[in-house]
Amino acid sequence: MADQGAADPGNNNNKPEASEGTIIKVTVKTPKDKEEIAIAEDASVTQFKEEISRRFKAKQDQLVLIFAGKILKDGDSLSQHGIKDGLTVHLVIKTAHKSGDGGSTSASSSASTQAGSTSASSPGTNPTSTTGSTGSAPPSTQTPNILTGFGDLASLSGMGMGSANFMELQQQMQRQLMSNPEMLSQIMENPLVQNMMSNPDLMRQMIMANPQMQQLMERNPEISHMLNNPELMRQTMELARNPAMMQEMMRNQDRALSNLESIPGGYNALRRMYTDIQEPMFSAAREQFGNNPFSALGGGSESGVQPSRTENREPLPNPWGPPNSSNPSESGGATTGGTSTTGATTNPSVSNPLGINPGNLGNGMFNSPGMQSLLQQISENPQLMQNMLSAPYMRSMMQSLSQNPELASQVLMNNPLFAGNPQLQEQFRSQLPVFLQQMQNPEALSVMTNPRAMQALMQIQQGLQTLQTEAPGLMPSLVPGGIPGIPTGGGLPTGGGLPTGGGLPTENPASPPSSAGTNTTQQQLMQQMLQMFAGGGGVGGGGSATTQTPEVRFQSQLDQLNAMGFINREANLQALIATGGDINAAIERLLGSQPS
Amino acid sequence: MDQSGSYPVKLYIYDLSRGMARQLSPLMLGKQLDGIWHTAIVVHGKEFFFVGEGINSCLPGGTPLGEPDSVVGMGCTEVPAEIFMEYLTALAESTYSGDKYNLFEHNCNSFSNEVAQFLTGKKIPSYITDLPSEVMSTPFGQALRPLLDSVVINPGGNNITGQR
Repeated sequence: MADQGAADPGNNNNKPEASEGTIIKVTVKTPKDKEEIAIAEDASVTQFKEEISRRFKAKQDQLVLIFAGKILKDGDSLSQHGIKDGLTVHLVIKTAHKSGDGGSTSASSSASTQAGSTSASSPGTNPTSTTGSTGSAPPSTQTPNILTGFGDLASLSGMGMGSANFMELQQQMQRQLMSNPEMLSQIMENPLVQNMMSNPDLMRQMIMANPQMQQLMERNPEISHMLNNPELMRQTMELARNPAMMQEMMRNQDRALSNLESIPGGYNALRRMYTDIQEPMFSAAREQFGNNPFSALGGGSESGVQPSRTENREPLPNPWGPPNSSNPSESGGATTGGTSTTGATTNPSVSNPLGINPGNLGNGMFNSPGMQSLLQQISENPQLMQNMLSAPYMRSMMQSLSQNPELASQVLMNNPLFAGNPQLQEQFRSQLPVFLQQMQNPEALSVMTNPRAMQALMQIQQGLQTLQTEAPGLMPSLVPGGIPGIPTGGGLPTGGGLPTGGGLPTENPASPPSSAGTNTTQQQLMQQMLQMFAGGGGVGGGGSATTQTPEVRFQSQLDQLNAMGFINREANLQALIATGGDINAAIERLLGSQPS
Repeated sequence: MDQSGSYPVKLYIYDLSRGMARQLSPLMLGKQLDGIWHTAIVVHGKEFFFVGEGINSCLPGGTPLGEPDSVVGMGCTEVPAEIFMEYLTALAESTYSGDKYNLFEHNCNSFSNEVAQFLTGKKIPSYITDLPSEVMSTPFGQALRPLLDSVVINPGGNNITGQR
């Protein structure tokens, strides 16, 4: 019908003539604003667009109308789509940028293609660059670049007129990855990534494509030899896939390295090795991958044997907790403490060395030189603790753990130490809320960072350890209830009182006081230590629910007596207990009972 | 460009409180809130959401929040990816730039709602968009308002305009 008012382009929005259809008011909404447009009910989309182009000052072919998820095509009519009075139609005005976007899209995609095209053998390299349509490309056809999952994003940001430079984007990714370990694990879990990583040829090609790597390989033929060893590659990739294992590896490697350090001349060798091989390798790998899954390679052949070891502990190793059974060596704890914080899940025991000790002590692992040196390192290097504790994810981890006791208990229970000791688990579980509270307690944290406090704690442990070795039968008898205070005082946490503290000491006498130095008693002893921590209630505060074993309390006195020549520790201790810590009286007692 | 294609649109719903809201809300607010909802729209193989730094996108489920607590199918859209990105870019320059983020009035859920309507014509479930007013209607919420106003949710992803 030619005289349909709405069809007349010369007409204003106020179409006076409405022959067949009534005028409806349709809201047209763009991202930036919206307008109400009156149009005939039975108008076609074309007519509608004419109106809109007038109102929005845009060309008709730039207009894209969307209603209820459908694109309104020119040939349709409004009523066909059910557009009625008062409804809203969405409008997108295509900018002239569109072709430019497509251009930059393919530019950034092709950049990613280049980066990934080193793997010439990879199938279907990035068809997104050819199609130019960004998000709709199915991920399975993307390049096996490690960041392939984000290939679309690369083009996205290019389209967004931002960093079309793929390298820059990659760096952004890396930064995010670094700060967000979960993302890394998610990337790793991406089946595409896993596929790629399980293909050693691919990986090798990718590595070799990096010019720095090539330089490196020229200088050090061993590296290329390593790269060519498929077994090693596979292991390394297995490693990279499993962040926990990787941490384990790195820890082992660090330990081994520091072992080397102690060999005469070894330090130089180490240094040489590092500067020659590791450094360029690190930087090369980092540039390409963002983290260094091949640190194992750079570490020299000694680490070659280690990848086969499977992890035997929770993701975040506990530097003060039980060293794993395969740890014969010492030190390296500082670095492990540093490297191991990248885990996504951590173990509160990291911050509370004595917390997990019940099991330790019971197993005697606590006495391993590794532990001791670790502790020494910690106390010598308060900065380390500080760093660890202030790592942002550490804090949030602890917070979340304290808020989620089940998670924490799960994490802890999985600790293989506890696995075989249900009683301990129970005890631990009951104290978990307090523990976690402790983690939150800034004082507790400050203890950890206070070197003197740490030293004091270490002394306690040493005292216990000595006692254990010298007088295993003594332990059970040293368990009276509720002895408050501690000589080393200082910054001990004074957190909330422990409600169950009273319960534990009573358990102890009930436990068989066998002189075999049973695990249970020792653990319970440590439990008491724990109580002391958790329920301190102030230094020397009487009547608190904490327990304090006498030998700890009398540590300094014992030492003095020892120095004086009273070598019978057991007797010393009993004397001290009898005299309540008075050295002189104790000496008299001892002398009285000994032939002079 | 394939305009007749149909792309599924999903709404990913995350509970930011990880279940704690469900447990603690009767205690703290006096009314039951099943969660603190953060939503994102998933379409064209990517997840889009509005956060303190603007409109971000990532792989579905790719934020540190992990997998969503629930997924609601919003239907399908014919809008192809290019048009959608243009739309988002325009939004990001106007009403959904980073500085416009407000935890109560103009947050991720408002964004998801708007985008869902654009893509499918449907709104997101009302229990999500009603959340701020629910909280505000409690004395506790009102007391916390100044604090909450300054909170910005930022669960990761990449800004679509490449800016930060």
